[in-house]
Amino acid sequence: MRALVIYSIKRGLGIKKKWTAKITPIILYIAAFVPAVIVAGILAFVGDQVDFDYDDLCNFIEFTLLIYAAALAPEMLCDDRRENVLSLYFSRALTRLDYLIAKVIAMAILMGTIAFGPLLLLWGAKVLQAQDPIAYMFDHLTDVGRILVYGTLISAFFAAIGLGIAAYTNRKGIATGIFIGGVIFMTALANALFSAIDSDARRFLLFVSPMDIVRSLSLWLFGDFNGPDVNILIREADMPGITLAGAVLFVVAIAGLIMYRRYLTEE
Amino acid sequence: MTTQSLTKAYGPVVALDALDVAIPRSSVGLLGANGAGKSTLIKLLLGLIAPSSGTATMLGMDVRGDTARIRERVGYMPESDCLPLDVTAADFVAHMAEMSGLPARAARQRANDVLYQVGVDEERYRLIRGFSTGMKQRVKLAQAIVHDPELVFLDEPTNGMDPQGRDDMLRLIQRIQRELGIAVFVSSHLLEDIERVCDHVVMVDRGKLVISGRIDDLMRGGGDIIVRVDGDATAMIERLAARGISSRASGLEIIVASNAVSGDMLYDAIRDAVVELDVPLRSLRGRERSLEDVYIQTVSGVADAEELAATVGN
Repeated sequence: MRALVIYSIKRGLGIKKKWTAKITPIILYIAAFVPAVIVAGILAFVGDQVDFDYDDLCNFIEFTLLIYAAALAPEMLCDDRRENVLSLYFSRALTRLDYLIAKVIAMAILMGTIAFGPLLLLWGAKVLQAQDPIAYMFDHLTDVGRILVYGTLISAFFAAIGLGIAAYTNRKGIATGIFIGGVIFMTALANALFSAIDSDARRFLLFVSPMDIVRSLSLWLFGDFNGPDVNILIREADMPGITLAGAVLFVVAIAGLIMYRRYLTEE
Repeated sequence: MTTQSLTKAYGPVVALDALDVAIPRSSVGLLGANGAGKSTLIKLLLGLIAPSSGTATMLGMDVRGDTARIRERVGYMPESDCLPLDVTAADFVAHMAEMSGLPARAARQRANDVLYQVGVDEERYRLIRGFSTGMKQRVKLAQAIVHDPELVFLDEPTNGMDPQGRDDMLRLIQRIQRELGIAVFVSSHLLEDIERVCDHVVMVDRGKLVISGRIDDLMRGGGDIIVRVDGDATAMIERLAARGISSRASGLEIIVASNAVSGDMLYDAIRDAVVELDVPLRSLRGRERSLEDVYIQTVSGVADAEELAATVGN
């Protein structure tokens, strides 16, 4: 399984593929890390005169992860099925479950680099610019915990949707299009319905609005639901963090069932 | 390999019907028309699909319970296209070696060796996308043997290849078993391919076992007898027919079918007919059957028996 994880990571990054396959990962890593590097640089120069919160980076990370998952999930599953490589894999001592787990691990590792990396970079920068870095580090270890929870949840959320879609089409372009189009459409639809409906129940539209669920998670962990720039749907929904995490885990479970049906039924 | 009442049905379609066969460890050919159940049998033996009923063992292990251990010891070259196109042959075969448990460096070395052995040398650093059908078949073969299996399943290995490529592939298969000591199980609908590379044949037709045995034995036994006499061949044919033996003229020779009377009795009947006609017997020899004769006679025999059974049943 380890060999398949490593191979899938390399393919996800476009390693040993045509140069065009490397463009998307490079651009996305730049998009995710450049803001964090800039913020870290500003902190290094101006010290504690200015404060950056983790939520300032979350917008970049969420957008980047959406695109990355849309590109990566089809890369993980579609080619193997379209090119019939599965028959070779399954003739090895590799079960269908092993295959799926390997693909999920590879996807999680790649998504994790973007979900955790920039935030941990910012945390490191904050530690280094503090008057007493050691004390700051121990005082803010909970920040690392929150970063890990945030990164894990949004990576799992986007990865689950992406893999669930990719499990049902052999065409990478179609899977990517359905993913991005679906997320944008559902988010827009939920917000439109929210505006049109005048009832307390409209707050539950948050659960069909993927980008607002993700935004709510970052606000729960790093921000404030009542901030000036917060979407009215998120503000009015005011969902408890545990409910948001439960919604993400529900989506992951549904995607897991979809993949189970697609791959683990024997023929 | 042994199977007991091995059955695989896809809804109402029975792809393999209560197959009972014991196959020795040698070079084995699985022969049958398209749709006869060959690929289904291979997939069942590899544990890629589950049987509807019945059991099978391979290398002494149950194919359902010991699937992982069996797959560590066998290789598989599928009939269909199964190679990723945007990877080099060297990278892909090395990856498949790693998938079989070899460390990365050893896998790379082993992949290079095996690709060289199957005739993909300098081309191994090219993307598979640019390969001809023959080259792709070689890469498929390379990935099947890269982990040094005891047995390799080759499903229609010469499919879609030109005569030269087919000849090369068959020679490669012979080398695999002779020089590398890997037993081969070749599925094909091409009788010549099986005849050329296999010692043992299993014939299936419409999901049922037709015959299984050593090719030499099958080709030797039950062949027609070619008789040459001076004089009137028609009289000889009529005389044999009176004894219940069918025969036909072929040029100067009379071909006597072996299916009416068996063994020495047939030779005795020919001798007696010659004596009764009082004609000189110039030659009398057995005609060795080709695998094609064996296949046609056995399959048509089974079909006749089924038709008879159906008629009696009605």
